[in-house]
Amino acid sequence: MKINLRVWLVIPDAEAATVKNTLVRRLGYADVLKDVRKERLFSIEVEETDDPLELAGRFARELVNENKESYLASVDSLKFDDGFVPVKVGLHIEDGEAISVMNRLVHRLGLTMVRGVEKATIWKLYLQTPDKEAVAREIAERLLINPNKDRYQILPTSKD
Amino acid sequence: MKIAVMQFPGTNCEHETLVSVRTAGMEGEIFRWNRPEQELSQFDGYIIPGGFSYQDRVRAGAIASKEPVMDALREEAASGKPIIGICNGFQILVESGILPVPGEVSMALAQNVMVQGKKIVRRGYYCAWTTLRHEADPGRCAGSFLIDKGALLQVPIAHAEGNLVTVRDGLVQEMNDQGQVVFRYCDWQGRILKEFPVNVNGSTENIAGICNPEGNVLGMMPHPERAYFAWQLPSSDPRKKVEAPGPGRMIFESMKRYIEVSR
Repeated sequence: MKINLRVWLVIPDAEAATVKNTLVRRLGYADVLKDVRKERLFSIEVEETDDPLELAGRFARELVNENKESYLASVDSLKFDDGFVPVKVGLHIEDGEAISVMNRLVHRLGLTMVRGVEKATIWKLYLQTPDKEAVAREIAERLLINPNKDRYQILPTSKD
Repeated sequence: MKIAVMQFPGTNCEHETLVSVRTAGMEGEIFRWNRPEQELSQFDGYIIPGGFSYQDRVRAGAIASKEPVMDALREEAASGKPIIGICNGFQILVESGILPVPGEVSMALAQNVMVQGKKIVRRGYYCAWTTLRHEADPGRCAGSFLIDKGALLQVPIAHAEGNLVTVRDGLVQEMNDQGQVVFRYCDWQGRILKEFPVNVNGSTENIAGICNPEGNVLGMMPHPERAYFAWQLPSSDPRKKVEAPGPGRMIFESMKRYIEVSR
């Protein structure tokens, strides 16, 4: 089973603000882009367990700094609210940070039920345009990824 | 002969670079990213120094590459003027599609991965002295115009993302065939050893610096301005003297010579 931890800043996110600023001021999306927010996503593959949300809480104690971040855990499914286009960006080359997280969970904290860790960034694009997905793809390819190391995916929302 | 030393928010090597430019006998000026980009045309050459432009937000060099001054630099590159990108400057040139193939983002400088005994022993930020072997013919590249092929230079690195990767089939071979690979990481004897600590960041074929097909744009991860004077060399280096040129000086003197012969 897979435990998804969505983590976001509760203080202002300077990186999301810079992305919005660049898209609006430099790349011509002023008329269609209303806002940009960002989450970190940890997708942690674990052995079957009776209480996955309790396990998610243990992961969160390691991966989330609750002085500045909040999180939401879900098991297997990953669905977002309507109102924005979620663009998941991750590496298609080896992700050293994900490997480090896995090693930390397994070897330092003894969470031996962990089988794999995938790390990604979810860019939440608040768009006002008839074809939101096409614009989101364009934004991903123009700014959010370098195709030589990153890949992206448009994730489903509650409307889909 | 006037050089613009570009400064983006987060650039942090502009003053050392400016000292290097001036000591090499050129005039220099720090050019902030928000000045009118049209003013760039009055300069004879450009250096994008190291640092962390826009705090490496999204990925290193990505945000700076969208600034209007980069459009202007793309035009200056196409006109044949020399540009050197050092460390973050190299990352910006790659993200701007100026290197290695103009008009497309054909490679990335990914997170460092240090491999030893076929195992990953370390990842991420690394700061060390490296030895570079000059791979290009003299005169091939503006930033190494005066350097002999096979010459070894000791120049330090300090970065987390210098691991050259590409998904474009044949690109690295193409760069080799066209003499676009300018520097490779090697040991003190000039041997190209694939593993850490010689290959400091896991870069494909130990590549440390490349130029565009025309040779007027050089991008390199090591910092020549931190090896401009011999007194900057590490204590273990017998050439460390107060008043002597360091190995990095050749990069700046090459740029000067390239401008002189291009006029």
